[in-house]
This record gives sequence, C-alpha cells and structure tokens, in this order.
Amino acid sequence: MSRLIYWIVLVVILFSSCRKEDNNFSNNSYIDYNEWVKPSHFPEPVYTFDNNKYSREGFELGKKIFFDKRLSVNSSVSCASCHKQEYAFADNGMKISPGVYGLLATRNAPPLFNLVWSKSFMWDGGVNHLEVSPLGAIQSPVEMGETLEGILSKLNSDDEYRQMTKAAFDQNELDAQTLFYALAQYMSQLISSDSKYDNFINSNDMFSESEKKGLLLFREHCNACHAEPLFTNGSFQNNGLDTLYFSDSGRSRITSDIADVGKFKVPSLRNVILTPPYMHDGRFATMDRVLEHYSTGIQHSSTLSSLLPVGGIRLTDQEQKDIISFLKTLTDENFVNNEILH
Amino acid sequence: MLNSNTLSFKRNNMKTTHLKMVLLLMVVALVASCKKERDSIIEPQNKEATVNIKFDYVFGHNLLPWETYKEMVHPMTGDTLSFETFKFYVSNIKLKKADGSYWVDENSYYLVCTNCDEGRYITLDNVPVGEYIAMEYTMGVDSIMNVNGVHTGDLSLSNGMYWNWNSGYIMLKAEGRSPNSPTGTFAFHLGGFSGSDNIITIKAADFGASMLKVSTEEQANIILRANPARLWHGSPSVSVRSTIHAPGPEAKKMADEFYGNVSFTGIKYE
Repeated sequence: MSRLIYWIVLVVILFSSCRKEDNNFSNNSYIDYNEWVKPSHFPEPVYTFDNNKYSREGFELGKKIFFDKRLSVNSSVSCASCHKQEYAFADNGMKISPGVYGLLATRNAPPLFNLVWSKSFMWDGGVNHLEVSPLGAIQSPVEMGETLEGILSKLNSDDEYRQMTKAAFDQNELDAQTLFYALAQYMSQLISSDSKYDNFINSNDMFSESEKKGLLLFREHCNACHAEPLFTNGSFQNNGLDTLYFSDSGRSRITSDIADVGKFKVPSLRNVILTPPYMHDGRFATMDRVLEHYSTGIQHSSTLSSLLPVGGIRLTDQEQKDIISFLKTLTDENFVNNEILH
Repeated sequence: MLNSNTLSFKRNNMKTTHLKMVLLLMVVALVASCKKERDSIIEPQNKEATVNIKFDYVFGHNLLPWETYKEMVHPMTGDTLSFETFKFYVSNIKLKKADGSYWVDENSYYLVCTNCDEGRYITLDNVPVGEYIAMEYTMGVDSIMNVNGVHTGDLSLSNGMYWNWNSGYIMLKAEGRSPNSPTGTFAFHLGGFSGSDNIITIKAADFGASMLKVSTEEQANIILRANPARLWHGSPSVSVRSTIHAPGPEAKKMADEFYGNVSFTGIKYE
C-alpha cells in the first residue's frame, strides 16, 4: 500500500513539475524580484523573456553592471552616472550629460522605466530592442567610449562577476550576449506603476479638485499621445519646438523620410516632475515652460503633429497649473526610493 | 478519485499490480514528455560529413583574381581600390536532395571574412552523407535576427557588424583605400532588413549534372564566385561617394548588384 502511495505521489510530483510556471500577475503593486510581475493595470509587455530567462541572479548581475564605471573606457562613467534612480533614472538638471572626458552628446538623457512596454528606444526610436539598447552609450566616443571586448575583459577578471555570471547564466564568464541579457533583466524591473495616479485609478487614493481638473484637461489635450496608463503611445511626433530641424532631424535620421523630420519619440510623463530639463535637447528647464510652450508656443513646420494647432492649445494659467498638479500625481516615490534597485 | 480507487484495490493484489504498471507507464511517459527537446532520431547508418562553401573572388568582367591589399582598377569607375576589409553575412543554408526534400542547416548564420584567421569560408557540419542537387542560401541576415535582441557566435555584437544607433546588422562591410576618394579611404557598410531598404537576398545554386556528393572519404567544397567590383555596378566612383553607414537606396543598389552576381561555379573535392 505504501508503495502504491509512493507511485501516486511520484506521478503527482512529475505532473506538477511539467507544468509551465504560474502566471503570477497579481493584483497588487508589490514586486517580487525573484520573478517578473506585470502590474495588473498595465498592458502585456513588448519585451518577453523568451530567449532571456529572468532570474533574481540575472537581475542582481545586471544591477551590478548598471552601476559599474568600468563600462567606460577610463572607468569614469556608469549607466547610473546619467540615469540616476532619484530622478527616475534620468539626469536631473542636465541638458546634456557629460560622458567620458567630459565630452557631450547631443540629446537629453531620458528617464529609464517601464522599458519592457517600449517598442523602440532613444529619442529617434533607432534602437529596436531592449537588449541592444545599452550598446550605443557603451560604444559612443562621447558617452562611454568603450568596446565590448574591453568591458568583458575588465569584468571577467573580477571574481565576483565570474561567480555572479555562473549563478545567473551557468557560464564562467560574461560574453557579448549575457552582458546584455543581465542588463535587460535589471532594466525590466525598473517599473513605475505605484504613483498617486495609480492609486487613484485603483480607487485607493483621492485626488484634489485641482488634480481632478488637471486629469480632465490632460485627457482632453494630452492623452492622444501621452496615453494612459504608460503615458506614451510610443509614437513619433513633432511637437512644434522649431520651424526648421537642421541641428537634429529626429526620427528622419533613422527612416530617411522627409516626413519624419523634427519628430521625436513621445516620452512617458510618469515621474516627469523629477526629470527636468525637458525635450530631446533639454531646452525647457521647468514644467511651467513646457506648459507655456504647448499653450502658446507651438511653431509651424511641415511635419507638425496634426493634433497640435499652430500657436498653441491656449490653456489659461489656471488650466496650466491644474495640469501640473495632475502631473505631480505621476511621481512614484516608491520607485525612486526602492532600495532593491540600487 | 484516486482515494476511492485505492480502497477497492486494497483487496485485490492483481489489480494493484495493474495500477502500478499503469502508473509506471505514466511516469515513463511523463519523464519523456518533460524532456526539453527530444534528440533527433539518427539512424546509425546515416553518416554525416562536413561541407565547405568557399568563395572564389574575382574583380571586374575580366574576372581578375582579387584579394585584400591588392590594388585593382575598377573597369567602370576607373577608381583604384585596395580593400582592407571585406566581410559579409551568409545565412539560412539548405541543401536540396533529388527527391525534392531539403537538409536544413540549423542556426545558419555565417560571417565570411576574406582576410581573417577564421571565417574565410563556411563549414557546414553534420551534413548527412548522400547526393544533393542544389543549395539555397541567403546573402545577409534574415529580418528576425535583426529585431530580436542579442545573439552569439557570428551574430555577436562584438563582431563590429551591428549598428548601435539604428538597430540592425551591417550585412556587408567593404573598407579600404583609394587615391580617388577625397579622404583617401572608402567605407561601405551595407544593411537594411525592412521595406524598400531591405537588401536581404535569397539565392539558389543549381549543382547541375555534377551534383554534390557528401561523403566521409572526400571533403566537398562548394565554390561560389564573388565579384567585389560589382558593388560599383551602377553606383558612383568613390570620388563622389566614399562612405555608406546606413540602410537606404544607395546601400540597396550596391548590395543588390553584388549579391545578385554571386554565383555557383563548381564543386571541388579534396
């Protein structure tokens, strides 16, 4: 009899081990870093872990790489140098962040969060996949100026990296694939979904009158591009900054299409209060200036978004203030203070 | 359900044995089904061998022997060209049998480098011994591998054949020196996998009467002729344009002319 039970138990165990992993897409905002959990009010992610199986070990390895200055040629710049957690992984106050030797690129460092929902990366959308998104910064002579060979040789000579690589990927050394796999696993957990807005949507928090008015105005004037719940629809738009786009042609740099001149990727507005200055070149120092631009500063050009009237959308001062009140509800303190992410 | 069954089996040893057998079979079936991938069934008599694909480089319509660091005058543009780098991807190689079936090379991505220590030619491993009448192959890297993240081996990002600012593989890289170029150098990085910029070219090589005979006794080498001069067949002198660093119509013209001219010339056995 006991043998029979033994067989039955064995069969049951085997059945359970054959099952695919449970979908632990729970309804709370708690993130268990031992697995990747989708916030319940977010859509399905674009990035899947089909080729890059997520693990806590991979996440920890990616985090170590993200904060490691040895990624740059003279060990002076890490990913975190320009993508600081306290500013939602943007570089607060810097129009253009300095790279190695203080050299400057041409565009404002964007915040990093909710990247697994992004169909493209960079202001011009030139990068098509989360895993390859760090490559440009690594190789750019004005950002990190390093080669993959250089990075791998430095990191693989460090026993701690070797141990962590063994734990994460069961191989003795990082290579040009696992380096990016680890970074992608870390970046995949940069999820901002726990702002006052999220709590309001989930009926756990109340909005003030100004915040409510701001939300209604936002949905009337901004939501077409900055679509909830990610606060971007991932499209490329010309938001009327200039009449000519000689210095930075934006999306057309990638598509070579004259119809894309002056278009840039619509950024998410989550944590936007934490990430000045604004626009691809950081021209606006404050959110007041941004609202002023949309209200009265829209410049005409042939590729101007059809959603924006030339001259601006004519918001009153109070309406601008209400929209800013609402935008403040998109700040996710739990995200920027999350100790597990640094 | 199992509980009620076990009660009745208590009084019947024969049935218990039966149940054990059934359960044992279930265990075996489950263990088998749990295996990630079943090993492909290889009949012991089906031997395998390697097949090489080698490139015979010529230059211009006179088919002059070509190699890197050798000065050649282009018959159409008149440019003097000395290549220092000539690399290109070949992918998705399939060999066709007389019965119309194919042997498909798994994970088939090869970076051919004319003057590197490794990668001068392609080696296909594990080709079943037998006769083949034709080959299908792709010049370039198919679109899926351009959009699904980082890869290893010949597709590794560390090979310098990937655009970091405009995701996608540099499928052909031709660099060198020319006194006709304003800078004294030329660099053509050709790629593009979508829309009108797509340079990926699927090719076929009909082995004809000679057939490809794969055996463990002789090493078969499929010879493809490649003519780097074809890059400028329809494209201007390096005095006009000496660099391409992005997909587009210019890259497509150069790639189409070169890829289109790659041709099967024979099979050599050694």
